[in-house]
Amino acid sequence: MFFHIVLERNMQLHPRHFGRDLREKLVSKLMKDVEGTCSGRHGFIVAITGIESVGKGLIRDGTGFVTFPVKYQCVVFRPFKGEILEAVVTMVNKLALLHLPIDIYPCGILQMGFFAEAGPVQIFVSNHLIPDDMEFQSGDVPNYTTSDGSVKIQKESEVRLKIIGTRVDATEIFCIGTIKDDFLGVISDPGTNA
Amino acid sequence: MMSLTADSPVHSSSSDDFAAFLDAELDSASDVSPELDEVENGEAEGEEEVEDEGNDTGDGDDDDDDGSIDSSRSKKRKIELIEAAVDPQSSVSRGEPAETSGASLALDVCTHPGVMGGMCIRCGQKVEDESGVAFGYIHKNLRLADDEVARLRDKDLKNLLRHKKLILVLDLDHTLLNSTRLADISAEESYLKDQREVLPDALRNNLFKLDWIHMMTKLRPFVHTFLKEASSLFEMYIYTMGERPYALEMASLLDPGGIYFHSRVIAQSDSTRRHQKGLDVVLGQESAVLILDDTEVVWGKHRENLILMDRYHFFTSSCRQFGLKCKSLTEQKSDENEAEGALASVLGVLQRIHRLFFDPERGDNIMERDVRQVLKTVRKEVLKGCKIVFTGVIPIQCQPENHHYWKLAEKLGATFSTEVDESVTHVVSMNDKTEKSRQALREKKFLVHPRWIEAANYLWRKPPEENFPVSS
Repeated sequence: MFFHIVLERNMQLHPRHFGRDLREKLVSKLMKDVEGTCSGRHGFIVAITGIESVGKGLIRDGTGFVTFPVKYQCVVFRPFKGEILEAVVTMVNKLALLHLPIDIYPCGILQMGFFAEAGPVQIFVSNHLIPDDMEFQSGDVPNYTTSDGSVKIQKESEVRLKIIGTRVDATEIFCIGTIKDDFLGVISDPGTNA
Repeated sequence: MMSLTADSPVHSSSSDDFAAFLDAELDSASDVSPELDEVENGEAEGEEEVEDEGNDTGDGDDDDDDGSIDSSRSKKRKIELIEAAVDPQSSVSRGEPAETSGASLALDVCTHPGVMGGMCIRCGQKVEDESGVAFGYIHKNLRLADDEVARLRDKDLKNLLRHKKLILVLDLDHTLLNSTRLADISAEESYLKDQREVLPDALRNNLFKLDWIHMMTKLRPFVHTFLKEASSLFEMYIYTMGERPYALEMASLLDPGGIYFHSRVIAQSDSTRRHQKGLDVVLGQESAVLILDDTEVVWGKHRENLILMDRYHFFTSSCRQFGLKCKSLTEQKSDENEAEGALASVLGVLQRIHRLFFDPERGDNIMERDVRQVLKTVRKEVLKGCKIVFTGVIPIQCQPENHHYWKLAEKLGATFSTEVDESVTHVVSMNDKTEKSRQALREKKFLVHPRWIEAANYLWRKPPEENFPVSS
């Protein structure tokens, strides 16, 4: 779920930025620092939409750096239990080797379930939570297919799923999801679009 | 462009309400500690907002163990649950409590077949239990209970057999390729680094200098054909004693298209026991697994699945590591023969085993077949019809049946004799001075070095006897 909230952060600024465009410097540093990061409490900070207030700066002893308390509005994304999300079936552990093309390692469709991503959130759907009529098919393009072949989940498929468990760490959010329920499952198949 | 001035138009009281709602939500989740001061004003009117939002987002069968949207609602539900428990008849008349208690009952009986990131993969509950087997190569935080592993294996087997496939576990070093650290490249082979033009094309194309991991790797000749052919008969795993980044790097060299191995790359850290490899982390039924490896000892419990490979030493450092004094392939500027190398011959064996396993003539139930039995049968044919006499090989104090060469020859289907009589075909000897050796020469029997048996084990056929003369 997305939220538009106000957060506060103490920003440290080097004295060389003290001038006419101090405020701009402060804001651009704030965007660089917080956008795309994850706070366990609020979820992922997607974008800063505005600055609420910049408090009085406080000079730090010895360094000359000044700390400004900045209140800013931002859009955050945090998945909740029971929430319905749309996600893309992806690969596992893509951070494994950063210099390799990411489409190589490794595919997220497995005998035991599949992995999907909704923005920065990784979701695992185990085969207990995939409808019983969908069977795992190994091969060059591993997939889950219904017995009549009409529905297929493979890499890049978009699925609608329900979150049944979330784990929020300081740096990442991981979820367990299900597609074994009404109105859940594939919403678009890469094979049909191509 | 977004506005970043102090009096931003987006600023309204609604953002405070959302913040308050988020706070209310997050306070109910106990696993995160507050880290930031929140905007306090608007708290009172925020409460009402929370209640409304909660009812919109809360799902009917949403269980209330950690993420209940609003506390008052879950309290209400608890009261209903208690009522339902006290008075079972009332629950019949009212739908909601019965449904809720049913859902919580289902959660209570969840056996937690697996845990990922601290949550059950089936019910989403937080599970602290550290039991089961870790499958770090699939996901860094995945553990599966033994029952679940058995269930997945069973499912996998049915799936595999339907596609007429078996499982093949492949070792990397000395089996499919040979690697050396850049620092270990000797002066004689330094041409590999800077004058690769001197190498023939086929060799150069399979030689990789991987600066970022400080390694140089040479793929074994025939490996691409081998993988291509084998992939149609087997689902393949890589299982190496190397580190994970190395394993993935090698997998990308062997399988640049990412079609053979997918996530089935098992590295040292994934093994459940140190210095051992085990099929317990392979999600395949042991009766359908074949292993190709150059080292037997690491496969303690699974030797029956193992096809031992002749080691591939391309680099000098690799030869030295195993105490081989001979000139390495790099020093000779040559390579293993592509068509007659170890991978080509073992591919033939794999194809044969696969054919026998799926032989339509066999009457037995396919689910009960065991590839280990097939492997044993095929192996027995290698030296079939050979009757062997050992001389000067087995120490006098050793029980002949327990000697390495005896056991090996027996596995390969040879029979034995103690005397050189009519039926004997081969005399295996360390030197040609013994009485039996001379007798063999007199009676025109083959006189071969024990390495002949080892060669047979690697080649999967009777090697030419003249290549294994017995020195005096």
